[in-house]
Amino acid sequence: MVTGRHFAILALLIPCALAVQVRGANPGPSAITEQQRGEAVFLDALSIPCPGEVFVALNKACRPNWATLVTPATAPVTTDRSQLALVVGVLAANGYIAVEAQDGQQVRNVGREIMAVAKALGVSQSLMGRGNSLMEFAENNAWEALADELEATENEVKATMVEQKDRNLVVLTSAAAWVMGLKISTGVVQGSDTLQGLEIIRQPDLAKKLASQLGSLPPRIREGALVVAVRQALESAATLLATRGLSPEQERGNLKKINDECSVVVKGILTSSTVASPTPATSLPSPASTNHASSNAVTPVKP
Amino acid sequence: MKIFKTPALFLLGCVIMAMALSAHIVAAPEEQAESEGMKNRVTAVPSEARRLALETAGAFANDGFRTRDGEWSGTLTKGAPLFLQVTLFAGESYWFVAASPMRGGVVRVTVYDSTGKRMKGEQWKEDASGAAKSGARAAAGVAPERSGTYFVAVELLEQPDGSPADFTLVYAYK
Repeated sequence: MVTGRHFAILALLIPCALAVQVRGANPGPSAITEQQRGEAVFLDALSIPCPGEVFVALNKACRPNWATLVTPATAPVTTDRSQLALVVGVLAANGYIAVEAQDGQQVRNVGREIMAVAKALGVSQSLMGRGNSLMEFAENNAWEALADELEATENEVKATMVEQKDRNLVVLTSAAAWVMGLKISTGVVQGSDTLQGLEIIRQPDLAKKLASQLGSLPPRIREGALVVAVRQALESAATLLATRGLSPEQERGNLKKINDECSVVVKGILTSSTVASPTPATSLPSPASTNHASSNAVTPVKP
Repeated sequence: MKIFKTPALFLLGCVIMAMALSAHIVAAPEEQAESEGMKNRVTAVPSEARRLALETAGAFANDGFRTRDGEWSGTLTKGAPLFLQVTLFAGESYWFVAASPMRGGVVRVTVYDSTGKRMKGEQWKEDASGAAKSGARAAAGVAPERSGTYFVAVELLEQPDGSPADFTLVYAYK
């Protein structure tokens, strides 16, 4: 039977318990305003996930067969600085795939190519140590350290771009890395019977933000053929990923479209050009003409 | 004025000042775009705050967390939280760690979803004796169910001398 004494004890204990909980949890305000969200800082180094982060998330959902996704990536011969910045992003993403596949030789190749591109961009001075570390970690199969080093290398290239008043190129590198990430991840999810991993790669806001950043670049950069193509691929991906309530077949169709478009863009980025032209794109290969996009769908390894 | 002893020197000074002013006002379009992009960014890179943040995030490495090679550094004022936009993935776990070298202060990290609602998760903060010894540190751990945009708030709750405090935020994921 509950007596007055019990009530008195409860009355003493409840505030104490609440006090302990609040002190331990120490939560912030329950909500923030639209204005506060609008004022939030957007930092390239933290607000944009690195491709490795996406691949780690995909690993949990559908265990892709990374070894089949490793493709030899050779940096193109070009003097176009915008293209070189895009190449750094694609190569970095390739490096993460090689790390997930635990392919030491490919990581070394990617490291070498990034160094070559950095040299062409004139940002290689501080990167020699990074290159050596990549080689050393690859030889020792230090895969986690390699993933960290790849991100650090990409960030160091970006930091040097900023130091050399080439801040605009940083956006290109991030956008290209994300396009390469989309190419791989949509291929992986498309190859899954149940579209496992679809909710992981559903990041329309990020694609939209990157496209918008490309649109804010100075005209001489944003009107370049490859930059236009990257922006269009991101805008298309943003629209397709934002559409919900579709049937699995429709979702698969959308993923294929994103995969095809991103594949064409990546191919264009890695194609050598002798002209450093900032003219708008009209001559990128079409998905049909490349005839390799559908082969990017990968059957995941069953856990 | 003494420095402008002759009219020629005075005129030269005026020309130089006018040129400097016009260069400042009429910036190149990309410089303007850059400065617009930068207006929301926090400057200052306090290395001690960074060291403390990385040291704290390093503790999560034992649980398989990878710390990203990037940081957000700035200055906090009591009552004026700062926000960072981040992109998180469904199924991943995250720890956001903020640190400040101020002795005896208290910082707080909170994560909000894209609609501005506070996310459920874990909170950790340096106890009073640790904060008095090495500085203020706090962390928030979340595991989002949906991929998308999120917001991380960093606040200065207590500062013994009332002055602004440098901070660095890093994050780890697995």
